[in-house]
Amino acid sequence: MSTPGADEGVAKTEDARSGNSFFGDVWVNFKRWNLKAVRNPFVLVVSLVQPIIFLVLFTEVFGNVAGGAVNQGIPGISYETYLVPAIAIQVALAAAITSGIGLVNDIENGMFEKVLVTPMNRTAVFVGKTAAEVFRIAIQIAIILGLGLFLGAEVVTGFVGAIGIIAVGILFSLWFVAFSNALAILTRDQESTIIGANLLQFPLLFLSSAFLPLAALPGWIQTFARINPVTYGVDAARSLMVDQDVMTVIEVSWFAGTLNGVVPGVLVLIGLDLLFGGIAVYLLSRASSSDVQ
Amino acid sequence: MENQSELSKDGHRPDIDRAKTHSGEGRAIEVDDLELVYSDGTAAIQGVDMQVPEGEFFGFLGPNGAGKTTTIKVFATLLSPTSGTVRVNGFDVRTEARKIRQTIGYMAQETSIDPELTAEENIKFACEAYGVPRGQRAERVSELLSLVDLVDVADKRAEEFSGGMKKRLDAATALVHRPPLVFLDEPTTGLDPKARNRLWEYFRRINDLGTTIFLTTQYLEEADQLCDRLAVILDGQIVAEGSPADLKREVGGEVLDVELEGGPEVRAEAARIAREFDAFADAKVAETEEGISVTAQTARQYGTDLMVAFRDAELTVTGFNIRTPTLDDVFLAITGEELDTEKMDTGQTGASE
Repeated sequence: MSTPGADEGVAKTEDARSGNSFFGDVWVNFKRWNLKAVRNPFVLVVSLVQPIIFLVLFTEVFGNVAGGAVNQGIPGISYETYLVPAIAIQVALAAAITSGIGLVNDIENGMFEKVLVTPMNRTAVFVGKTAAEVFRIAIQIAIILGLGLFLGAEVVTGFVGAIGIIAVGILFSLWFVAFSNALAILTRDQESTIIGANLLQFPLLFLSSAFLPLAALPGWIQTFARINPVTYGVDAARSLMVDQDVMTVIEVSWFAGTLNGVVPGVLVLIGLDLLFGGIAVYLLSRASSSDVQ
Repeated sequence: MENQSELSKDGHRPDIDRAKTHSGEGRAIEVDDLELVYSDGTAAIQGVDMQVPEGEFFGFLGPNGAGKTTTIKVFATLLSPTSGTVRVNGFDVRTEARKIRQTIGYMAQETSIDPELTAEENIKFACEAYGVPRGQRAERVSELLSLVDLVDVADKRAEEFSGGMKKRLDAATALVHRPPLVFLDEPTTGLDPKARNRLWEYFRRINDLGTTIFLTTQYLEEADQLCDRLAVILDGQIVAEGSPADLKREVGGEVLDVELEGGPEVRAEAARIAREFDAFADAKVAETEEGISVTAQTARQYGTDLMVAFRDAELTVTGFNIRTPTLDDVFLAITGEELDTEKMDTGQTGASE
């Protein structure tokens, strides 16, 4: 057994940890999750394919029929324009599910524990991961907006409005990101997380103002839609899309015009994000704590 | 290994100065009356005391469920002790966890690598996670890839690797920051003999370069091959401690294995004869699957006389063998039962490929 002598030329002082700032740790994890997303285009594509199918099929199949119903609420609007904000929210929903799946995979392949043994700041670890997911969601919503324009939809508020729609989509995605992470920690099982999150996806989308105006839907759906986060996300995004207050479930007159449709939705989404985010942070810190369970 | 000479120049010398204990004969691990009780009341560790000096290759031996992984997780700051004090590299596990994390390498029992990243990317991520300075990362990555012989597959995704390759990659990621102390939790479980021997070779190499290694294993041969010193843990308590040679000496003498024709009653009869045999006054006699085993200082001298006694009692001896005790015998002597695990097939031990 050789004991290390003092004369060995190891660069000891320079060897100290250098990149241990909070943002350094965020960046390290942000890079890893982006790399994984690029490596695994399946996840990227799957969370885009379904919304794209919806966008194309709904506009082509229901466009003529639904156009009438839609026009009663917002005169002169095409079904494409009506649908695009809803699909943007759908993308946010579908992509948010993959956040929990990523966490479950990390738990299953040991990376979760491996990261806990590193000196990285644990908050930074999860901030970095979530930032990578939000970044991906922004790109996916941008793709949907581009496709919508190609199909004939119109963003009345222009480029700024488009950025706004992406921002609303991100705000919307965060509560579901938190929800899917909570599911991931509670089930610690990939299938359960996917099924649990996916089961919610369709009821949430259809029992809202996403595909048709609430006025055209049965009473019980209207009731459910009032407590459905999708309604708030879609109405806020749609208000930006058409540059009118089309928020159907909260009436405010704090501003003139469009912002009356956007701000209440955004506030509701921020509230939801804080609520679900708080639960997810609690569960995550419990799962990564060294307290004996 | 063609790169050994180059590696031993500087490759994986641990960064000893980062441990608070640095003094030449410091303690890498100091444990005083450690207890850990899970919330369901299971007392996984019950009053463990131990010290591991810097530079030692220390083995923690025990059957499944004995508390090995729980103990190693306490040392790696993944679990907080219920009571007792634990200092790792001079730092307290409760109050200085982050400093411990900076100065240890940890290889979990389950292989922990990101299957979607390549071998190189896995090591690079570990470099970044441990804050290896940017300018040293590329060099460190290539050093480690060659240490674990994964240079040729550096750009392949880890999911394509065999179990042994994944383990080697996992080991490499635990070494990026040149930790003075490395924890290996059953690193060779489930590997074939060839892969196991190869890993052993790497562990010896980093230990030779000064890294303290704390290894858990349920394989007696592994502990015997690698470790300077061992502790045997059973039901959360350390039941024996010492070098493999010390522990074998404690068994008391040499072991005479006798194979007998016939069933349990024949073995019982043979055991009775052996116990009453004058020359084996302080012998330990145990029934085995095929016969009996007698452990005594005088086993070599009087073994043949015992055979004669068996023949006189009309027992048929089908085979016998006198050998020095193994750690299997140690375990048997301590616990009264055989270690509950399949024997590992070590092949040519100690040889590198």
